[in-house]
Amino acid sequence: MSGATILANPSASGGQVAAVPAPPANRPRRDYVGIGLWISLAISALIWALPFVFMFLTSVKTNADVNTAPTWHLPSVWQWVNYADAVETGDLWVTGANSLVVAIIKVPIGLLLAAAAAYALARLRFRFSKLVLAVLVAGSMVPIQVGLGPLFTTMLSLDLLDTKLGLMLPYLAFGVPYQIFMLYGFFRAIPDELEESARLDGASTFRIFWQICLPLAKPALAALFILDFVATWNEYAIAATLLQSQDNWTVPLAVLSFSGQRATEYGPLNAFIIMSAVPVLIVYLLFQRYFVAGAFSGAVKG
Amino acid sequence: MLAAVAAAGVIGTLAACGGSAGGGGDDELTVWMLTLEGAQKEAMDTLVSDFEAANEGVTVNIEERSTDAHKDALRQVAGTDAGPDIYWYWEGPGLGGELVEAGLSKDLTAEYEQYGWADRFGEATLSNITRYGGYHGVPFTQQAEAIYYNKELFAQAGITAEPTTYEEFEAAAAKLAAAGITPITFGGTVNWHVMRLLDSLIETNCGSDTFDQLVTTETSWDTPCVDESFTQLKTWGDEYFNDGFQGVADAEAQQLFYTGDAAMAYEGTWFDSLTVDNGMDPANIGVFKFPTGTERLYGFGEGFYINAASDKPEDAAKFLDFVTSTEEQNKVVGAFSPISVNTEVPTATGNPLHELWPPLYDAASGFYLNNDQNLTLDQTTEYWRVMNSVLTGGLAPADAGAEFQAFVDSNA
Amino acid sequence: MTAVHHPPAQQAPPRRRSDRRLLQALPYLLPAVVLYLGFLVYPMVDAVRLSFFEWTGFRNDEPVFVGLDNYVRTFTNDPVFYRALTNSVIWVVLSLLIPMLLGLLLALALNRRMVGRNLFRSVFYIPAVFASITVAAMWRWIYNPNVGSLNQLLEAVGLASLQQEWLGNPQIALYSVFVASVWQGVGFSLVLFLAGLQQVPAELVDAARVDGANRWQVFKAVTVPALRPTTAVVTILTIINSLKVYDLVVGMTGGGPAQSTQVLALWSYQQSITNHDFGQGGAVATVLLVVSLCLVVPYLVRTLKAEEH
Repeated sequence: MSGATILANPSASGGQVAAVPAPPANRPRRDYVGIGLWISLAISALIWALPFVFMFLTSVKTNADVNTAPTWHLPSVWQWVNYADAVETGDLWVTGANSLVVAIIKVPIGLLLAAAAAYALARLRFRFSKLVLAVLVAGSMVPIQVGLGPLFTTMLSLDLLDTKLGLMLPYLAFGVPYQIFMLYGFFRAIPDELEESARLDGASTFRIFWQICLPLAKPALAALFILDFVATWNEYAIAATLLQSQDNWTVPLAVLSFSGQRATEYGPLNAFIIMSAVPVLIVYLLFQRYFVAGAFSGAVKG
Repeated sequence: MLAAVAAAGVIGTLAACGGSAGGGGDDELTVWMLTLEGAQKEAMDTLVSDFEAANEGVTVNIEERSTDAHKDALRQVAGTDAGPDIYWYWEGPGLGGELVEAGLSKDLTAEYEQYGWADRFGEATLSNITRYGGYHGVPFTQQAEAIYYNKELFAQAGITAEPTTYEEFEAAAAKLAAAGITPITFGGTVNWHVMRLLDSLIETNCGSDTFDQLVTTETSWDTPCVDESFTQLKTWGDEYFNDGFQGVADAEAQQLFYTGDAAMAYEGTWFDSLTVDNGMDPANIGVFKFPTGTERLYGFGEGFYINAASDKPEDAAKFLDFVTSTEEQNKVVGAFSPISVNTEVPTATGNPLHELWPPLYDAASGFYLNNDQNLTLDQTTEYWRVMNSVLTGGLAPADAGAEFQAFVDSNA
Repeated sequence: MTAVHHPPAQQAPPRRRSDRRLLQALPYLLPAVVLYLGFLVYPMVDAVRLSFFEWTGFRNDEPVFVGLDNYVRTFTNDPVFYRALTNSVIWVVLSLLIPMLLGLLLALALNRRMVGRNLFRSVFYIPAVFASITVAAMWRWIYNPNVGSLNQLLEAVGLASLQQEWLGNPQIALYSVFVASVWQGVGFSLVLFLAGLQQVPAELVDAARVDGANRWQVFKAVTVPALRPTTAVVTILTIINSLKVYDLVVGMTGGGPAQSTQVLALWSYQQSITNHDFGQGGAVATVLLVVSLCLVVPYLVRTLKAEEH
């Protein structure tokens, strides 16, 4: 909390900075600014949480309730059966399993490939390694949609349309470069002495990668794992282009289909939306510590 | 070394997943359709379970999508092996014809011969099957669209008779609006819903011959009768549509009709069962033809097509023969349309609304198609954009025809 | 992109040694590079290639070379293209102004000990882990003109005159979609700024306070400069994400009403796949590609250069 002192700064609460005379420093006082700040944060957080509240309340209502009373009223009947309905009509088990399989296979493989490549670029600095890095990263920042049409025809000619493999290959291609970028920073920061002493002990390049560099990057890997899991679980554009049969659908496709086909079944629709986000919520809550600490400290260092 | 390990890992794991894809078992027929609910769902379930019972070992897997998702999915798989064995689609040139042209549909001339289907269906029904050369698709319904209205609300507004001219129709809407009732309900996010009104206005103002020339772009859209139609459309949008129609989809718009919050809906024969499924009393509902002043009824055919890439065309044909057979059609007629495509099957009973249709069919000299089935894809996209621009005030109605014609010319 | 105190750069190694290093590096590099080339670069290059052809995308149809026709048509005869381009630019500008600033303010506010800090942070961040498609479905529901919560809320607080067809009015639909994106996106810049604030050197802050600087002066003299690299990262990522916006629009309006919420990424897709015109779709994609690269490449060059010293 190194920056805590500055952050009692009124600039955080709006534009009236100049108008508020700063209290003399170094004198004990009640932190009115802090209290005001807390209250405005609480109000903002409340506003931010409202959509969740509305969604939950609607998810346990009958259509009659939805049509006759405002959203924030409690349901007259708690219609928990909406959840069961949504699971059944939305094929949640099938699509959920598809998403899970794709994420569980794709995410670790992607991280391994990214770590290997980042290691090569950061530690085995060959000629043009910078250029290779730049090209990799540049591509990853271009909007995916640019290549969707041709991606479709590519998968078609490889006979991988509408398969999980056909989905995972572009997922890897689009996910790995960003991870290389993040891990590159971590590997660069490892002191050369560490590697040199290992080398003097006769360690091979692979051992240095596997036993020295990878363990050091653990926090970054954990954070990237979450980010990538969430991104993979949520990906829509590529999946919508490449997957045709409902047996292969991932969760976002089911959400869109549900909200299109059953737009007027308000309760089940909202129940479905809530359930579709449960896995990413769990992952986020379990790993949020790593997430804030690990993921981005690499990204924002100077 | 690492690369080898990783690559082997990738290929090994991923290949394992690749195998799980595809259209299921050897004897599974995959059928793509629109979302089915209520009576239609039951009817389809009946057809499928009867077929499975009669054909040991063959299973039928129905996959449902919303209207636009269904179109997108089929356009994507056209010319690939990823499609279903059978797909349900609209028969008009802009939709069904497009997929025929793309090579998605199998020519069924041999099957028509084998099963004698040409005798099963009426001449008008078959015209949409034979228009692309050979036989494409097996007709499933011949749908007509007309104005459904709520009798109670009409009475409340003091409307005593069904409108028979366009002037009376607009006057009825004005009376409803004056009585504080939403005259007609549309869902604007699906462009083809509001389009029904525009198409009918063009048929009304331009007449049947010009309508046909317009949709084949043989004559220019920059013409007074088109401008008049857009002007009327704008009036309807401003005065008579449900509030916020641009922000809701068709299902939400229909809801207003079910709940008695809107007096009219421009729907088709499929709506008979939907109104009842949604709790309306059919005795309180009437249906009248959109008063175009022409002889034609608004409507289209829908059929089942066999995918040219299907590796089970025999099973697929057997299924289509089964679902259009007299015996099966007798069981399900009415769920999709009151009048079966199978000429031996009598008009459906059971829903009083079904009886309202045969007089309309009999009085009609033919059908004019919904324009998304007439125009090409990019024209349809532009037609909808122009239509919505007029409705939202972004384009003057008098300029709409010229705007559309400019697009037609530049993309000719 | 890497730590300030990284080891001093090595002297440029002699060429032969470097070649050996390349051989050594290849096995580590190849799998990622092959995937990248095959499934990212190739489709993009192919999109550019197709922009010079007329092709429906159907297998039984051969692409026909038409030169620059697709570009001419896109720039002179496509009524939707300029709408999409304008909307994409609006989206980028608004995203730089609103969610980024909000994220910074929230990060500053949250970067201190307080009751409920973790809860606050989670509330602001959780929308960011939701799929955009899911967020779209939620907000479509909130904006529903008949039973949506927003119009109900306005009525309940006596502001019924402000009720709108949030997604049905082409004048405001884009901004309605944007509000959903702010709700979802603030957490992202919040977390980045929070991480950036951890890098603000505490000694400098203390020293400034001892010298009698007030909070505003400390903020200006110490925090702002220390946040500069973070701000650069957030800025570039915000721009990139704005150009990529797609799922939200698909889920909320599909580009309507009357194409008023159309954006480049979606229009490219619809031209190719919905309208079956891969040439026009490719032309729009190429425009998007060029715009993106114009933004990304200078940023990358700068970042990697900065790392050299």
